[in-house]
Amino acid sequence: MEPILKAKKIVKNFGGVKALREVDFDLFAGEVHALVGENGAGKSTLIKILTGVLEPDSGEIEYFGKKLVLKSPREAHEAGIVAVYQEPLVYKHLSVVENIFLGNEIKKKNGNVDWQRERSITRELLKSLDIDPYFIDEPMGSLSTGLQQLTLIAKALNYNAKVIIFDEPTAILTEHEAQRLFSIIERLKEKGVGIIYISHRLEELPQIADRITIMRDGQVMGNFDMNQVTREKIIELMAGHTLIEELKRTPPEYTDVVLEVRNLSKKGMYQDIDFKLYRGEILGFSGLVGAGRSEVMQTIFGLIKPDSGEIIINGKKVNVKDPSIAMKLGIAYIPEDRGSQGLFKALTINFNVTIPIIEQLTKFLGIVDNSREKEIATRYLKWLQIKAPSIYTLVNNLSGGNQQKVLIAKWLATSPKILILDEPTRGVDVAVKSQIHNEILRLADSGISIIVVSSELPEIIKLSDRVIVMHEGRITGRFDKKESITPTNLLNAATGARMVYSRD
Amino acid sequence: MGLKRVIKSRELTVSLVMIGLVIFFSLSSKRFFTANNIRNILLQVSSIGVASIGMTMIIITGGIDVSAGSILGIVAVVLGKAAVGGFPAWLAIILGILVGLALGSVNASFVALLGIPPIIVTLGMMSLLRSLTYTFLGGRWIASLPESIRWMGLGKILNIPIPIWLTIILIAYFSYFMKYKSLGRYVYAVGNNIEATRIAGVNTKRVLFFVYALAGLLYGVAGAIVVGRTGIVQTNTGNNFELQVIAATVLGGTSILGGKGTVFGSLLGSLLIALLSNGLILLNVPALTEGLIIGILILGSVAIDVIKNRGEE
Repeated sequence: MEPILKAKKIVKNFGGVKALREVDFDLFAGEVHALVGENGAGKSTLIKILTGVLEPDSGEIEYFGKKLVLKSPREAHEAGIVAVYQEPLVYKHLSVVENIFLGNEIKKKNGNVDWQRERSITRELLKSLDIDPYFIDEPMGSLSTGLQQLTLIAKALNYNAKVIIFDEPTAILTEHEAQRLFSIIERLKEKGVGIIYISHRLEELPQIADRITIMRDGQVMGNFDMNQVTREKIIELMAGHTLIEELKRTPPEYTDVVLEVRNLSKKGMYQDIDFKLYRGEILGFSGLVGAGRSEVMQTIFGLIKPDSGEIIINGKKVNVKDPSIAMKLGIAYIPEDRGSQGLFKALTINFNVTIPIIEQLTKFLGIVDNSREKEIATRYLKWLQIKAPSIYTLVNNLSGGNQQKVLIAKWLATSPKILILDEPTRGVDVAVKSQIHNEILRLADSGISIIVVSSELPEIIKLSDRVIVMHEGRITGRFDKKESITPTNLLNAATGARMVYSRD
Repeated sequence: MGLKRVIKSRELTVSLVMIGLVIFFSLSSKRFFTANNIRNILLQVSSIGVASIGMTMIIITGGIDVSAGSILGIVAVVLGKAAVGGFPAWLAIILGILVGLALGSVNASFVALLGIPPIIVTLGMMSLLRSLTYTFLGGRWIASLPESIRWMGLGKILNIPIPIWLTIILIAYFSYFMKYKSLGRYVYAVGNNIEATRIAGVNTKRVLFFVYALAGLLYGVAGAIVVGRTGIVQTNTGNNFELQVIAATVLGGTSILGGKGTVFGSLLGSLLIALLSNGLILLNVPALTEGLIIGILILGSVAIDVIKNRGEE
């Protein structure tokens, strides 16, 4: 039997980043082919190429024995290749029927939309998936995410899909919804549909997948029949032989607890979060994107209100209602999204660095003391070696790495006791990255307690004295010894194996 | 549509408020519930109602158009000057409506093709057109309009005024259009999720261009109705008209966040606004109070809409 879909030597570069390096991938009719890999391994890029969202730099796709060139998602739809994303792309005020047919309406002879036929076909499609079609006239937004996803599967079938790609479909589903999805996938297989299944939940793969392909750094690391590969082997291939820089750092004395979080929960975001942060330590928060780490940090900084739990700073229970209280308590939070959450890009370095402390810089009648402002901005410009002609340079004109330093300077100006860095080196080049790492170490040596949230294993392993791993809103691993902080251990916890501890 | 949804619908709420107002005004003023006054109210509804069709579509796409009143003003000037200058009435009216279409298309080009935010485009347009109106008229009125031009406002077929016919026909057609024509459905789709609509292979620029251009055309029709009804063109013709039309639209249940709303709902909204402004005049409430009440209605219904939407997320 020949595969229905064959990707051959696909190459895709973004600027200097090699997202895919000669990737081969194939799919047979009626099989579920799992695709796994860390964030940034190239899975999404491959899927985007297969669905016409991106065009490859080189390589080709063969589909039912013929060469296929896709210029747009619509062409992929028409060819029968459809992706169902984790966050369904829906029109929330429009009915289920309409969501299925939009852009592909059935029309009567006079050009009118034929609602009756659209509705009866919708009913049939849902019934063929064993779903009771009682909700087809409801607005899509009133459905649960699980039902929305099922509706989109029905939509895919309406396009007569031969290939359906599921991008982390179960990440947001309840256990019950996930089981229903699996039985629907079984039905799709019986119909001869080929399925590409992306998931970080390795534990569900033996139940659902026939084959598995493991990717890392834009390359295929292995392709196996599902029943011939162990979880350990998969993790090993995902983690690879990551190059970890060794650092000379003596871990702090774990004596003074500066921050303690007890049983913190927020519905739909995180559950039962418990941890301590000691003076002068670097605590890494590892996990996959969407594991709930940023939400926990934003809660500590007063941006999100928790449902229950306590935050204790220097032994006192605190109620961090908003960021200004967090700042008074000595907490600084540097968000991941520099553009929208962190920096005023159209303004000067000077303005950005001093904005959090501007009230302390005022003189008589609340007028800002410009000379002090200038002095502070200049100090940080020099200290962090920000490459800019002057403190009056616009942030927009700086490179990504230097923007990141401005952001750090902005929060250091508040003289924090606790510094929370969310993905501190995303999007910066290697040289600046290592500079930022050195700054982080220097800050920790000076007695500041630091939390680093990062999805990059090498970064977490290099910097952290201790590591906490989260998976789907829960803490699934704690590693207190440098020797136990290894890629394999962290990945095991991040992909949802049972609790992993290494206290002793 | 299930009974539950009818009860929860904005259409029902607005209808009930209207009934309440009718009872209140009837009790407060003897002149309110007379054939003559009802006709007046319906005539006022017609210009707002016709314009609200275009505004409804624009707001459904997630946009806004504050140039409606100024376009109506320019249309009135063109129409009036043409009629006074000896053009036959039908040609003057068509000319006026085409000017509306042309100005709507200018808005459309900026919004759809250049991607400039609608509030900025239409605000600029408003300022520009208001100055033009003043330049053309130089502060004077056009009052000596030939009787023939007033057909759009005063003419009757089967003893029912032309504006009322126009309103009924246009509302009925565009209600049908929004439900059964794919272009009508795409208007909703763009307002719900423009990116998904584009990926579904729909030319979203064409959809946006269409709604702004059509709105211009309908403001043109509304302009012809207003001139016909009042028989006069002034520099302030159409002042605050956009406010009434936007109020009618959001009161009628169109979400200011885009994605949902109906043309029929906006007609009910127009009725409510017309009722209110007529009743307040009969009660001798100062004109300023009307603006106050319309402002409160806009803010109130938008706030309800936004809060409701938040609950859905």
